[in-house]
Amino acid sequence: MKFLAMCSTGLGSSFMVRMNIEDIVRELQLPDVTVEHSDISSAGPESADVFFVAKDLEDAAAGLGDVVVLNSIIDKDELRDAVKSAAARHGLT
Amino acid sequence: MLSELLTEEKIRFSNDSLTWRQAVTQVAEPLLAAGDITSGYVDAMIDSIAAGGTYIDLGYGIALAHARPESGAVRTAISMLRLAEPAPLLDQPEHSVDLYFCFAAVDAAAHTGAMSSLARILSDTETRDALRDARSAADVTKLITRFEETR
Repeated sequence: MKFLAMCSTGLGSSFMVRMNIEDIVRELQLPDVTVEHSDISSAGPESADVFFVAKDLEDAAAGLGDVVVLNSIIDKDELRDAVKSAAARHGLT
Repeated sequence: MLSELLTEEKIRFSNDSLTWRQAVTQVAEPLLAAGDITSGYVDAMIDSIAAGGTYIDLGYGIALAHARPESGAVRTAISMLRLAEPAPLLDQPEHSVDLYFCFAAVDAAAHTGAMSSLARILSDTETRDALRDARSAADVTKLITRFEETR
């Protein structure tokens, strides 16, 4: 199972989201999840199972597949709920 | 570590009423002065925001301005500008920002330590609130050092 955090540059915000997803994956003890980050232009539907983007990139991420849109990328509670739901959707919990 | 990069001379406070362009220019100023970035990097950040880059809005009134390494990042560096009045990104009220960070990374690998420290600080509700309440550069460096020592 692969989670991919994305932003426009693949450096700033996506890395922050990746860090926080990794923390949450550890906290929830989700098995076999890898977390990566990248810029949105280099990502395709095959790049990951679940894609995480900030609200502004919602349109750009359409068509990638299972896309999670975050209101704030530093709101860990929102992200925790999003990771939990994604894990449930993909049968991890 | 973030505390090694975000030193007191890289932290500014302003009571002026600024546009987002002025805010991005001012937050980048200490990095430009130190030779951490070129003026091209500042232009690249402004261009990317102008092109719709409100993705730098992290939420909670905080924005992380950055461009790609090849746009003129000389050294990995971070600066901060706290505004008394918000300077909304692209003048959009829903992107009201009064705490700007400027981030430069020479390559994707070089910045991971400082960025993970910044991500943890900003995602920790208590420390984030303390950072927003800080009234001097010394307050900011103190709370970052304390955060890093306890993790």
